[in-house]
Amino acid sequence: MKLKVLTSIVAVVFLLAACNSNTSGDTDDSGAVRISATAWGDPKQQKVFEKSIEKFNKDRKGEINVDLQVIPADYDTKLTTMVAGNETPDVAQMESATLAYPLAEEGKFLDLNTFLEKDPELSIDDLAPQFGYYSDDGELIGVCPERETFMLFYNEDMFEEAGAELPPVNAADAWDWNEFVEVAKKLTIDQNGNNALSPNFNPKNIKQFGIDFGKWWGNWGNFIYSNGGDFISDDGEKFGLTEPKAVEALQKLADLINVHHVAPSPIQSKSLPGGATSLQTKKVAMMIDGQWLNYNLGNSGVKYNVGVLPKMDKPVTMVVCGMFSIFSNTDHPEESWDTLKALINPESAFDMINEGLWLPTLKDWYTDPDIVSRWTNNKFHPSGFSGAIDAILNYSVPSPTGYVRNFNKILEFVDPALDQVWLGEKTAEDALKEIEKDVEKVLEGRRDIK
Amino acid sequence: MKAELTVKDPKPVKKRYVWKNTAQVNGLLFAMPAILGFLIFVFGPMIASLIYSLTDYSVFSDNTSFVGLNNYINMFSGEDPFFYKSISVTFYYVFLSVPLGIIFAFLLAILLNTDIKGKAIFRTIFYLPSIVPVVASAMIWLWLFNPDLGLINNMLTSVGLPTSLWLFSEGTVIPSIVIMGLWGVGGNMIIFLAGLNGIPDHYYEAIEVDGGNTLHKFWHITIPMMTPTIFFTTVMGFISGFQVFTEAYILTGGGPNNSSLFYVFYIWREAFSNSNMGYASALAWVLFIIIMFFTAFIFKSSKWVYYEGGKQ
Repeated sequence: MKLKVLTSIVAVVFLLAACNSNTSGDTDDSGAVRISATAWGDPKQQKVFEKSIEKFNKDRKGEINVDLQVIPADYDTKLTTMVAGNETPDVAQMESATLAYPLAEEGKFLDLNTFLEKDPELSIDDLAPQFGYYSDDGELIGVCPERETFMLFYNEDMFEEAGAELPPVNAADAWDWNEFVEVAKKLTIDQNGNNALSPNFNPKNIKQFGIDFGKWWGNWGNFIYSNGGDFISDDGEKFGLTEPKAVEALQKLADLINVHHVAPSPIQSKSLPGGATSLQTKKVAMMIDGQWLNYNLGNSGVKYNVGVLPKMDKPVTMVVCGMFSIFSNTDHPEESWDTLKALINPESAFDMINEGLWLPTLKDWYTDPDIVSRWTNNKFHPSGFSGAIDAILNYSVPSPTGYVRNFNKILEFVDPALDQVWLGEKTAEDALKEIEKDVEKVLEGRRDIK
Repeated sequence: MKAELTVKDPKPVKKRYVWKNTAQVNGLLFAMPAILGFLIFVFGPMIASLIYSLTDYSVFSDNTSFVGLNNYINMFSGEDPFFYKSISVTFYYVFLSVPLGIIFAFLLAILLNTDIKGKAIFRTIFYLPSIVPVVASAMIWLWLFNPDLGLINNMLTSVGLPTSLWLFSEGTVIPSIVIMGLWGVGGNMIIFLAGLNGIPDHYYEAIEVDGGNTLHKFWHITIPMMTPTIFFTTVMGFISGFQVFTEAYILTGGGPNNSSLFYVFYIWREAFSNSNMGYASALAWVLFIIIMFFTAFIFKSSKWVYYEGGKQ
């Protein structure tokens, strides 16, 4: 009898616990509107977001209370599940290459133009170039709290030892490709001390490489544009990477690995620890990567500096960013917009900007010298960084994820094909021509054609 | 007159189900959590997935339409360029890893069943890798397999053997992942050890009396007596082998050039990166059918399993 009572009590308790669902009401006790937000990030980024939100919640106490969820891994999977379960957040960070556009095409986001037009504090002109993403109908589906761009990182000591000329700072002075290869060769040294220019150079026994670059589209994309190519034709009908200019760009990059031997093959790349460490341990002299590398390099104490990317035809830097969007089924659009503004405010993200992980989103943070020195006068922004600011303002191009439809699916074919190109198994032309038919099947045109 | 032992039918009672006793009620109640759990979290979603596989459900789209067998037709007709590649990659992995794994585990179990000093310690050492989380072991193996700095290639060069590109070459990526998996045969080894200990000694004594040597013992006693265990590990090995995922997710991303595009990894990619839930559900059901087919096949052909209890 006693056992029965106990069991029934336990069962009831479990039942109650399960039934007590966490669907928060829209307003909490103090009458403040509850806004849910999601973002991705490693622990450091998480701290920044949380700090911004804490400050925001304090400022708007009683009016708005933001519940921020930072998702460290599998963000897309988690968000998909939230959408499927009808538990969408009000404000969410969105990846332009994967989920953003499928959702936008279903009208799931609010057009942020309407907010920007009415907002007394913030207008479009305040934002630095490449500030967000547009849908087919010209709706602004997301605004970015940061920018990310690519530059050439290098170890100053290694340049001194090799007696090589330092990379230029400004895009107007950018090296052309041959100059770049020459310098890289001078900095690629085998175990016997011969550099790649010497006839005794042994490419099988390299001690240090002149240049390394990650194999994702963020890095090689820069050079497609620099050489005058594109991912997709102007009319959106044909695959752009099989066009001669794009093929040439990819082949030149692959030749760095397999012809000139100044860059490690993907195999060797995998063994080199992350970008910053390979510069630090003098395994690599120059590195093409995103500006976030400044954070690790600044912390490492390595004598490094940055220069502008070498050009193939014209100097160009791709600018990418991760946007925040507002779901259209939110009950509180105005409060959601306020939250979004808080998340993109450079003052609240100051630590991230200061330490090199992010670039600010407001234009005068690049153009006003007083403000610029606030965030660049530190070990995370070496002397060459002024060139990066110049590049963002004057030589930047948007990320292809914004205007190439079905970008993700296209990359599913391109990446494996490029695997073979980096490994030297096929030429860029052959590898890309092979996948051309498959890509054409998934091509869906461009978004920026009026 | 034959003695009849029939029981006359009792007076016909109205068909009414009577709870025999509270034990039956309690039994059912105690089983309810498991039953409900299965129905709600496994069976229900399976039915939902079957229905989704007949639609173009994409989570995000407000319009989900019934497309009948289109998903399945697309799969098999070659519309989907990755489907057959994924199947062949997964099959290659399964047919390489399952037999090798069982053979290794079996031999290890036999070795560790002999009377050697430190038997318990060795068993522990061999078992430990199987409880290391796959993610952690994947990171370690990434370093070991590194073609330039990795320990394996270094050891090979030091004895003058040719090296390999391991995870970074299309031809060697699956064998490399299989080798990684072999490190974790400890689990199966323990099962085989249990099986070996269940073989009565008097069989071995009988063979000794008949003048048999170790090989005879192995072939005529050990293996036949172990067939139920081998059967079990084979079935389980196939079931889990077809669902290999983590190695592709952590180590290779499906590459190089799709040569490690395991089936479940492909399903995950279609579902969450490409938002094709309907198609991914169809893929999942095809996998279910495949695994069911192989399991049924192994069961059907299990004449070779010898059950001492006598029943088949």
